[in-house]
Amino acid sequence: MSPEQEKFIKKIKINKLKIMLWQFLIIISFFLIWELLVNVGILSAFIYSSPSRIITTIVGLIKDHNFFIHIFITLKEVLISFIIGLSLGFIIAIILYEFKFVAKIVDPFLTMLNSLPKVALGPLIIIICGANTKSIILMALLINLIVSVITIYNGFLQTDEYRLKLFKTMHANKRQILFNLVIPSSYQTIIASFKLGIAQTLIGVIMGEFLVSKQGIGYLIVYGKQVFNLNLVMSGIVLLALISYLLYKLIVILEKKLLKHL
Amino acid sequence: MNNILEIKNLTKNYHTKEGEIKALNNFNLEVKEGEIIAIVGPSGCGKSTLLSLISGLDLDYKGNIKAKDKLKMAYMLQSDALLPWLTIYENAILGLKINHELSKENIEYVLYLLDLYNLKEFKDAYPKSLSGGMKQRLALIRTLATKPDILLLDEPFCALDQQARLLISDDVYQICKKEHKTVILVTHNIEEAITFSDRVIVLSKRPAIIKNIIPIKMNNNVSILERRKDEAYQQYFDLIWKDLEYNES
Repeated sequence: MSPEQEKFIKKIKINKLKIMLWQFLIIISFFLIWELLVNVGILSAFIYSSPSRIITTIVGLIKDHNFFIHIFITLKEVLISFIIGLSLGFIIAIILYEFKFVAKIVDPFLTMLNSLPKVALGPLIIIICGANTKSIILMALLINLIVSVITIYNGFLQTDEYRLKLFKTMHANKRQILFNLVIPSSYQTIIASFKLGIAQTLIGVIMGEFLVSKQGIGYLIVYGKQVFNLNLVMSGIVLLALISYLLYKLIVILEKKLLKHL
Repeated sequence: MNNILEIKNLTKNYHTKEGEIKALNNFNLEVKEGEIIAIVGPSGCGKSTLLSLISGLDLDYKGNIKAKDKLKMAYMLQSDALLPWLTIYENAILGLKINHELSKENIEYVLYLLDLYNLKEFKDAYPKSLSGGMKQRLALIRTLATKPDILLLDEPFCALDQQARLLISDDVYQICKKEHKTVILVTHNIEEAITFSDRVIVLSKRPAIIKNIIPIKMNNNVSILERRKDEAYQQYFDLIWKDLEYNES
């Protein structure tokens, strides 16, 4: 490697480190300022809690052995809804792509369902499924499914016209075009729908837990509110932020592995 | 030489909300085995439509397209249309895989072509590591892999820079001559049409009819660059230029 190339690579690495350092500084400053404002009495510790109180609350939850149960329950609900939503979304997108006439018929319904605030369906879902995990999963499913269908279907539609023509000139049948061209062409969109879907699923699960659950992070937040333990509410929010970041990072790792040749 | 393809009274209309568009009107053409034909014409005159009809991509037409029995056609497009998620080798055998023709003999032929075009050492790499010229060469290998009788070339070199364009078109020209392939090349480039073909067909603006047929009588056994130096080259160029100029006015 030439000295110029080494210098160039070093510059990129330093830039990356600088960005990480800034991100770290912002987070630390945010927590320090928060802690300070509460300690000097500018913010009320009862309403706003503080980072030290949040840590104490989380340590308390860990000691009670409830911590991992709540996290496990929320993660379980997220993963089930996410996998079902994505699989169903994928199958529906394929049906819409293969049957354009059907796609045209359902287009306004999809748009309507997409813009409908799904939380409004909450009471109805509870009456149909009961106050249990099924309702939570269904709520999250309703939120992520429509997004998955629309994103993946639009990805299919963006298949390069020259590649499509090439396959037709090779006399490829519909199945060969779908599995050898349309789906692989949409890897990037499918991964994008993973990213959107995981965030939407988490929103759905927490909304569901707010309404019906007895366990999970959404439950912790609602319970905290009911007993005026704002430390618990804030701890729940911090845990949610951490979980959503970790889930997103997992998908980014998957994206790098799957799309390395594109 | 026998006719490998005969087109009689071919008419093609497109239907849009705004009305009917006539792309081809009573088009007639005979193509001999081993012949290289270049079709030139103004933009949008129906050159690519003609290839779609010949290849069977579009079956909605009036008239008659008669091809020799069990004729195998292969298409090379304006874009290399490589699949970035497949390796160079997997891209090269794509047509064979789709048509379930992955025999030992065919695979050996693909490896021979990859070797011939200096791509064998990259066979496990992915298309993003290739230059524009190498990508088009790979597209050519993919086209030739199925051993077609007729090559339909739809402006296959137009995305390349001038140097790559001359080199790749010469590669295609040499292999077509060597393997006695029949070729129909659609292009808007007059120089390419003259140096690449045995016969240039000049089309009118839409609906396309044959404006002029110009047999090219130059040395077949030299490169495309050498053919450009031929005495007759400029005369052919002027002739086609005049026909196209007339068309545009």
